[in-house]
Amino acid sequence: MTPILQQFLSEARDFLQSISEKLLRLEKAPGDAELMSDLFRSVHTLKGNSGLFDFPEMTRVLHAAEDLMSVVREGQLGFSQDLADRLLEAMDFVALLLDELQSGAGGGAAHVQSSMRLAESLRALIVVVHGAADGPLPRAHTSGPAQEPVTLPLEAVPDGLLAAWREAAKAAAPLQWIIYTPAIDCFFKGEDPFHQARQTPGIVWQRISTRESWPALAELDPYQCVLRFDLVTDAARATLDEHFRYVPEQVAIVPLTQQSLDPALATAASVDGGPGPAASAPGSSTSSMVREILAAQAIALGLPDAVAWLPGRLRAIASTLAACSRSSGREDALPSLEAALALALTSNRAEPLHAWMSALGHAFAPPIAAPGTSSAEPSNPSIAAPNPSDPASGRGGEEIPATAVLKVEQGKIDRLMSLIGEMVVAKNGLPFLAARAESVYGVRELSREIKTQYAVINRIAEEMQDAIMQVRMMPVSGVFQRFPRLVRDISRKLGKEVLLTLEGEDTEADKNIIEALADPLIHIVRNSLDHGIETPELRRAAGKPAEGRLVIRASQDSGRVLIDISDDGKGIDPAVVKRKAYEKGIIDEAVLERISDQEAVNLVFAAGFSTAETVSDLSGRGVGMDVVRNAVERVNGSVALTSEKGKGTRLRLSLPLSMAVTNVMVIESNKQIFGVPMDLVLETVRIPRSAIRSIKNRQTIVLRNRILPLRSLNELLAEDLPQVSNELDEMATLVVQIHGESLGIVVDDFREVVDIILKPMGGILNAVPGYSGSALLGDGSVLMVLNPKELVTWQ
Amino acid sequence: MAISYKRNVAVFADTVGVDEAEGLLAWLHEHPKPKLDLGACTHIHAAPLQVLMAARLPVAKWPKDSPLTAWLNSALT
Repeated sequence: MTPILQQFLSEARDFLQSISEKLLRLEKAPGDAELMSDLFRSVHTLKGNSGLFDFPEMTRVLHAAEDLMSVVREGQLGFSQDLADRLLEAMDFVALLLDELQSGAGGGAAHVQSSMRLAESLRALIVVVHGAADGPLPRAHTSGPAQEPVTLPLEAVPDGLLAAWREAAKAAAPLQWIIYTPAIDCFFKGEDPFHQARQTPGIVWQRISTRESWPALAELDPYQCVLRFDLVTDAARATLDEHFRYVPEQVAIVPLTQQSLDPALATAASVDGGPGPAASAPGSSTSSMVREILAAQAIALGLPDAVAWLPGRLRAIASTLAACSRSSGREDALPSLEAALALALTSNRAEPLHAWMSALGHAFAPPIAAPGTSSAEPSNPSIAAPNPSDPASGRGGEEIPATAVLKVEQGKIDRLMSLIGEMVVAKNGLPFLAARAESVYGVRELSREIKTQYAVINRIAEEMQDAIMQVRMMPVSGVFQRFPRLVRDISRKLGKEVLLTLEGEDTEADKNIIEALADPLIHIVRNSLDHGIETPELRRAAGKPAEGRLVIRASQDSGRVLIDISDDGKGIDPAVVKRKAYEKGIIDEAVLERISDQEAVNLVFAAGFSTAETVSDLSGRGVGMDVVRNAVERVNGSVALTSEKGKGTRLRLSLPLSMAVTNVMVIESNKQIFGVPMDLVLETVRIPRSAIRSIKNRQTIVLRNRILPLRSLNELLAEDLPQVSNELDEMATLVVQIHGESLGIVVDDFREVVDIILKPMGGILNAVPGYSGSALLGDGSVLMVLNPKELVTWQ
Repeated sequence: MAISYKRNVAVFADTVGVDEAEGLLAWLHEHPKPKLDLGACTHIHAAPLQVLMAARLPVAKWPKDSPLTAWLNSALT
């Protein structure tokens, strides 16, 4: 499912909800013009939205509803119960389609007939008002040729074929005769009816004719479609409905039964564009259907009379009965039916219609539906069959539509987040309790039980945390979407041509990470445009296309989000960077000599570094890449820069997916405990004191044939104490990675690894370098979490 | 152009679109005894098709595309 469809589904549900609310409110206050306009707008918008997709059934019904609302809004038709009923039914139908789309059974072709019926029932109300007001119809009413009795032009078919069809008619799956009369203005809607006809599956025979005789060529308007297509196919009815789903009102489909193929009976063959393939010649199948319909009407008539919607129900039943009489060829019964309806309406009782059915109903459905049975049924309370003429019944108020998307305030999620954080901390208290039970109270049994219980709570808490994380996930597109505009504006200002490509916009990460990403990214993009990509003239001179390329790509890689920003600009010249860094005093002469090109390029991250000759409003103030690096590192991310002179620059930001729970290793030093973020820890080793060598003032050790510089934590924290070794005279050493280099930090001892909720230091403490923050441990003590990067560079 | 006009023969090729209808009609006005060559034609939009039907043109060459010929047979003979 595409995101736009998902959005449509969720919006459409909101609209449906508000439409039915407004309808219900209008029932109480039918004169409220503002509410009415509101309702019209909702229906109008929903229709427009549905038009973006391939849902002709939905659009058709909504279009009819919109037309109806527009008439009501203009005051030509009063708001009535009946109108509300029909609109609600139409909205239920739309909800049904939405449900199907949601579940992926996105056909809709099966609903062509229902959508036609609903659209007609809505339009019927418009016709009523226009008939009364003697005004013109707002648009071509759907009473196409499909409604009129159709004579199959069998004389046009070769005799041999006809004989074969008669044979086929005896088989279970009859051939279908399709009469397709395109709308006169169909060319202006971009339709090609001939193409449509040719694409019909399973064509056996075909003919093109015209609805009227051709005028002289001079008077011919080629853009008024007057064609008629006749075709016979062996495709199934459902396939044909699907094929003609955009133009069902222009198509009549007649099954080629023996009756319809027999010229003597053919004249009687009538086609109903309405519900189902029911209407063919009056045959045995018809009368059995009529019987069913009559039985259903009898049940409906037997329902209690004392309801507000009785008139609507009576009218519906009467029109169903009228349709039954017509299809059974008993038009003579119609006047008496109307009289019965009028009587029923005035007396507000179903009885007159019931009497009419008992008297006449059996006439057009002879054998089984005897008046006795049909009138006996309603008295039987156990029968509660839904009215089959109303396929959408039961979707009214009782059924709660399944909503797939919830809109939740951000604050609530944040609260859940901090609650689960506390839960994790509280949970971590249980192992301490277990240890106390054993060591202090000496109850080993209880200690074990607490540990088992802890394992269960731990699992649930972890799953819960994971679930909340999922909720907080946001696609990076939220940050990315501002770049097209930004790039356009800046490149205009600089007179550069830049083609921006965004990739992986649906990559997800925690909301906080995404938010933290916004500013650094803007900075990087500005830098790229300002320093990286050259002007068109320079690019052409360098043999590159005049238009520079800037690619921002997001991807996910084992628990981290990677954001690559690459351009094909002039790249970073290590020589220039070295010289600038030297001039600004960032590096000294010795460094200048031995630094590699790659290291030189990374000098751009040093504080106060700027290569731009002049200060512009875009960059060049020296608050550049170091700000980016700090911002990214604040959320435990890292930045890597690679650049090739003349070819371009590539920056890779690597960020954690989420930052709520931090995995830290607890270490001990000078009788205090500290936390060190696990993602910095490469390994832990115990090194014999004798292996430590001093080079100048610095202690080092050779670890796996590499020299590893050592610092003691006490020294880093400015405590004048030697680190404590264990009984074998080994020093506990934490090997950490800082800016791509390994460093051994000597501590007193290692403890366990724990998950903590890291709280940044607030207030005055915020300015204290060397710490990332603090966290509460399970036993209630506070753990200070070190920031080794700051600790080492700050020294 | 999907229709090329050669003296009094209109030669249809590939798919003849809706916009050809007017040109075809105008050409028919100027040529009293036109002929049709549909040999290379694969589809005719319904609008130009109407023009052909109204003009009752003799078809000199039917399309090689046999389903199309089956359709046109009923319309143009």
